[in-house]
Amino acid sequence: MTALTADRAAPAVRRSRRNRLAAMLPAVVVGLPLILFVLFPLAHILGRSFSTPDGFGLANYAAMLGNERFLRITWNSFAVTLVSAAVAIVMAYAFAYAVQRSTMPLRNLFRMIAVLPLFAPSLVQAQGLVLLFGRNGLINRSFGLGIDLYGYWGIVIASVLYVFPYAFLILSAALAVADARIYESAEMLGASKWRAFRTVTLPATRYGLAAAIFVCFTLVITDFGNPMVIGGDYTVLASEVYNQVIGQANFEMGTVIGMVLLIPAAIAAMVEKRVSAKQYALISEHSRPLVPQKDRLRDLALLAVAVLISAAILSIVLVVVFASFVHLWPYRMTFSLRHYAFDVQNGIQPLWNSIYVSVMAAGIGVVAVTAAAYVIEKFPSPAARGLYFLSILPAAVPGMVLGLGYILAFNSPSNPVYAIYGTLVIIAIANVYYYHAHGFLISGTSIKQISGRFDEASATLGGSRRQTFAKVTLPLLFPTLVGIAVFFFMRSMVTLSAVIFLITPNTQVAAVSVLYLQDRGATNQAAAFSVCIIATIMAVLLAVRLLLNAMGHRNVSLIR
Amino acid sequence: MTLALSHVTKRFGNTVALDDISLTIERGEFICFLGPSGCGKTTLLRIIAGLELAEEGTVTLEDRDLSEVPARHRNFGVVFQSYSLFPNMTAARNVGYGLECRGRPRAEIEARAAEMLRIVALSDHAHKLPSQLSGGQQQRVALARALAPDPEVLLLDEPLSALDAKVRESLRLEIRDLQRRLGITTIMVTHDQEEALTMADRIVVMDTGRIAQIGTARELYDRPASRFVAEFIGRMNVLPVAGGRLAGLPLAVPQGATLIGIRPEDVRLHAGEGPPGRAILPARLTNTIYLGNLAHLVLSVEGIEHEIVAEVPGHACKAIADAPQIGLELPAETIKVLA
Repeated sequence: MTALTADRAAPAVRRSRRNRLAAMLPAVVVGLPLILFVLFPLAHILGRSFSTPDGFGLANYAAMLGNERFLRITWNSFAVTLVSAAVAIVMAYAFAYAVQRSTMPLRNLFRMIAVLPLFAPSLVQAQGLVLLFGRNGLINRSFGLGIDLYGYWGIVIASVLYVFPYAFLILSAALAVADARIYESAEMLGASKWRAFRTVTLPATRYGLAAAIFVCFTLVITDFGNPMVIGGDYTVLASEVYNQVIGQANFEMGTVIGMVLLIPAAIAAMVEKRVSAKQYALISEHSRPLVPQKDRLRDLALLAVAVLISAAILSIVLVVVFASFVHLWPYRMTFSLRHYAFDVQNGIQPLWNSIYVSVMAAGIGVVAVTAAAYVIEKFPSPAARGLYFLSILPAAVPGMVLGLGYILAFNSPSNPVYAIYGTLVIIAIANVYYYHAHGFLISGTSIKQISGRFDEASATLGGSRRQTFAKVTLPLLFPTLVGIAVFFFMRSMVTLSAVIFLITPNTQVAAVSVLYLQDRGATNQAAAFSVCIIATIMAVLLAVRLLLNAMGHRNVSLIR
Repeated sequence: MTLALSHVTKRFGNTVALDDISLTIERGEFICFLGPSGCGKTTLLRIIAGLELAEEGTVTLEDRDLSEVPARHRNFGVVFQSYSLFPNMTAARNVGYGLECRGRPRAEIEARAAEMLRIVALSDHAHKLPSQLSGGQQQRVALARALAPDPEVLLLDEPLSALDAKVRESLRLEIRDLQRRLGITTIMVTHDQEEALTMADRIVVMDTGRIAQIGTARELYDRPASRFVAEFIGRMNVLPVAGGRLAGLPLAVPQGATLIGIRPEDVRLHAGEGPPGRAILPARLTNTIYLGNLAHLVLSVEGIEHEIVAEVPGHACKAIADAPQIGLELPAETIKVLA
């Protein structure tokens, strides 16, 4: 008996070691593309920033720090970012509060207006502001004024409007859940409404608030589309990267500024992840949802705020739509469809490229983030922890930095990825990995919710892992996967930053066309391209919504 | 179909969840694992199901070692506490799922699912989703699903705890009846002693990862092996004794006994001093809990630290409560030596 046990023990030990290696395998397989398309380009950026004519060294950084212009640009960036983020947060909080916690009319309409800018290319705010307040803008022409918006305030206003919908989504989610019992207790204890807001509402939404602050900070400091269009001579770090790389082909300086940009974005992303991890457990299963009560004065005040902000958002979008339909802005304001003929270089092709890239990014993105989330949940191992880190790492990487990394890493015939370099595929891949963290967190939350018990039930009934996945996990995950696909599609349609360095004359995408046309002064055509992007996204959203409704999935949020 | 556990041990970190559990279950038997939460009963069930691995020991079915066989190849039916019905499938598809995974022909799957739903009286609800069924109905679907692939053993993990009292009682009988008809070996985990007493052939009482006692309901009630079992099943007055005496009164217990128990219904009360020649202690009534058909009288006796609870018929309580003096008798044949 003893001998038998000993004989059996040895293979068991060996088997367990092999099992441990086998358990790592899925994480390694799923992690490889992340290493190739995130870590590898970042390593190239880092390496290049240290490369000087005399070999490796800190010379680039030293040159930068000793350069007064650079220090001024850094200061500019922070001056824009801090002010824009602060203003956007206050506005978004008030708006989200009005939508979630008041009884003002048309709350659903206001909610839709708030997220409308997400359907437009990421520089639409600057585009709209130029049309309204530019030298040839509607206001200056109509009233003979001399408002000069180009520069600091132009960037700040554009940035506030740019990040508003992102902040609104986060804060709206934070304000959506509340425990009525706590508010009743506060009232019974004699707290005034203002006191209840300070002592109950604000603390309960502090994690959402922190997350929104960091998201706004990162978005503004890494945005270059708006500063390019409306910044005038006022340069910020993000537009400086573009100038150095595209304008002067100075990759070394581009990478150094990219690294400088990476640091605050990375810190913000890390703090945000740490903070939002604590977001749960505020609501217990016994809590009773808060139903907003009527309060005329409060509702009226909030309605006024919502109307004002909505007016600002709508006027930006509507003036772009309007400009796309007039003969020649602002000289001949007669109706014309001539800008939709797209008699520019490449014609309408960039829009088709965008759609093609976005569909591809949606497909690849869903598979990539779901595979990562699934492997981390079902095959726990040390490698899975590494995979988790890689999966959320892109949240800290500005799109331009990632795009620049792609040039440096893949623009060499010796690299196997070179085969797709300069094609639409690499643009789709850049978008997938740029937005990887967000998509990954959505699918991870979903997979966690449906995990454990169904797997066990299926296993005891004789289901293999594959059968469980196909028959149970996938059907339950389906609505979330559609949501993630829509997310990748939308962002890929509107983004500039990740793709700006990767496009070629043949692979130009619509959002970049808007930037180029606007830059050349072809305002009307730029507007027409923007309208096409907005229309495409709205059509896709509507089609997906109808499809999901037809399949019985009504409570799926498509706008993230 | 003998199911045998031998020397099963499981640790979670430094805590021992199961400590050297050995147990043999006969074919067709209905066994309950009974114990307070954290005693290891659910872990033991999960090890039998193959959802968790024991560090030491084996699980064998008819001398076939299952220790290394994954859950999906064991052919054990499991009903989970939270039902775990697949929310994307109708009741019928849930029930047919096990056969579907075994690659059976469609006609057979449908016929079997219909048959099982008929057995649990849910034929009318075959095409409903779990969310459209009540808790009791969901649990019956879960039972039908577990039984549909004709499992060797049926495992029930607190199957009734999420249901309200009325449904629970009727499902108890239904499950027991079904189990008898199918003659399937069944293990149920519960923390509810009444559930265990009414359903099981034999009860395994567990305490902190060990088996405290195995026996029929009657054996456990009449001859508890330890203070834990005595107090967990039914009520028990537990009293320390020394040198065979309780408060100076000699008892018919072994000289070395240190702890005895007596059930409240076995305590005999006399209004007055009681019949002479018997061992009777003078007692004082401190509290009366009137329950209608019964009453619990709480008494204190000089020289005994703990109060003693006696159960009397409801109509008898007034006579005793009004008596100027109460005599408390512990009949020798009802005294249980616990340590």
